[in-house]
Amino acid sequence: MDTEARKKALHYFFDKLVGPLGFKFTPDVELKDFLLEQEVKLEAKHGVPFCPCQPIRNDRARDMKIVCPCIPYHREYFDALKRCWCGLFVHKDVTDPDSLPQLPPKEVGLE
Amino acid sequence: MKKVSMYTLSTCPWCFKTKKYFADRNIPFNYIDYDLADGATQAKILKELDAAGATGFPFVRIGDEVISGYQPQRFASALKS
Repeated sequence: MDTEARKKALHYFFDKLVGPLGFKFTPDVELKDFLLEQEVKLEAKHGVPFCPCQPIRNDRARDMKIVCPCIPYHREYFDALKRCWCGLFVHKDVTDPDSLPQLPPKEVGLE
Repeated sequence: MKKVSMYTLSTCPWCFKTKKYFADRNIPFNYIDYDLADGATQAKILKELDAAGATGFPFVRIGDEVISGYQPQRFASALKS
């Protein structure tokens, strides 16, 4: 499957998953396109679409928690950020994703 | 001038933005792309991330200050302080 076709497939699949979690794709189209492309490349290399902005640790239990969409594994944290770490998804009420800072857990009062 | 170094990922757009932030200001920096590094270097990076409570990249060190995430305001204040 070519990259564009796989990006479309991931988009369709992810859209179904994140909606019920209260998230949507970022309205930043350029960012969305770039991140999906990276995920297609990561999927081709590793077999699953890992988050492009978190480390693959070669520890299966931990690595499964960064397979996109990883929102269920970091629910409290991403709800506090109103975005996931890489920014592919934002809370449904977000219209200006640039206004959301990328903060580590301890800076939003977690961990 | 404070020494700036960072750990990044070659797949991460926030890491690109972080590098651009310093490059645009002519601030020299060193970086290592975690995903392109060898196993020993990756283990060292993970140890530093975990110690700082960071979960993802970019991971920036400005002098003695560690900043997790793309945080331009924090970069600016760390460079000034």
